[in-house]
Amino acid sequence: MPYDPNTNPLNSQEWIFPVLEVIHISFFSASIGLASVVNLRLWGAVFDRVPAIDLNRKLFLWTLAGLTVVLVSGMMLFTMDPYRYFYNSAFRFKMIALLVAIIYHYAVHSIFISRSREGSAIARLSAIVETALWVSVAFGGIFFAFE
Amino acid sequence: MPLHDLAEWIRHIALFTAVRESRLIYPIILSTHLSCIGVFGGLILVTDLRLLGLVLTRYSIASVVSQLRPWKWAGFLLMISMGILLAGSKANIYFDNPYFVMKISTLLLIGVHFLIFRKAVYRDETEIRDNQPRSSGIAKLAGATSLALWITVVAMGRWIAYYDRPDSAYLTAPLQQTTTLTVASTHLTNVRPD
Repeated sequence: MPYDPNTNPLNSQEWIFPVLEVIHISFFSASIGLASVVNLRLWGAVFDRVPAIDLNRKLFLWTLAGLTVVLVSGMMLFTMDPYRYFYNSAFRFKMIALLVAIIYHYAVHSIFISRSREGSAIARLSAIVETALWVSVAFGGIFFAFE
Repeated sequence: MPLHDLAEWIRHIALFTAVRESRLIYPIILSTHLSCIGVFGGLILVTDLRLLGLVLTRYSIASVVSQLRPWKWAGFLLMISMGILLAGSKANIYFDNPYFVMKISTLLLIGVHFLIFRKAVYRDETEIRDNQPRSSGIAKLAGATSLALWITVVAMGRWIAYYDRPDSAYLTAPLQQTTTLTVASTHLTNVRPD
């Protein structure tokens, strides 16, 4: 039996969708913003007396909490109209970019943060790559509505 | 000049017309606007969390504020520039949108917030002179209100797309402030954020 979005309790009230969207966008902004602070540090642009690894450690839980809310609210939004999302190529791009960004953030970028010297070319490049990945997610999210 | 005539005039400025009529430019500007809110909003968040005494407490508020200031300004100017292009290109549907009005009003309140707390918090001479990190009650108040104001800006920005203007009122009463929220009943079919 195919899934009927109208049976989803999240679709029962008209305010639920925009409220979830605001939560989703606010926490996404907060998460990539916190990641950007560490990236600016890798560029030597801010907090030059704080090692990047320390800064990353201090902001780690905040970023993780933010991304968790992003993912949970995103999944709730998805269940409200899954067919529309699934068949939208911008949404698929967004999902791939999000997956790559999360893997890169936790599996690759964190290694550069902990092992590379701040200001080194590789650390700077990694900061740019990560920022570009998060911005790609934002672009995917916006282009979704224009397809 | 009535407000809706002014909005129509702004909308027909060549630059705004070009933005509106391009299939690609408008979403690119909107995406850049959102990315700026994310990347540079994080700097504001770090400042606010520091004011609340939740992160970077070994560092003085003055040093956190001063180090992030140029980046926050750069991001803010880019974000505002994109916002002007977006709002100008659809000025006729924004000028009487209550959520847009609230967003702009909240941005102005953020300016007032800065003026109120500038001396006591953001450029606290005592803290700078003593070089002693602290999070006073007034700093926490500044952090909490700043956070609330910025969340309001994001929320109102998102809500702009959900305003359903009564067209008849548009023709007769340009400053109509009636708010009608028709979201979930229509979002399954026609949500298109502007």
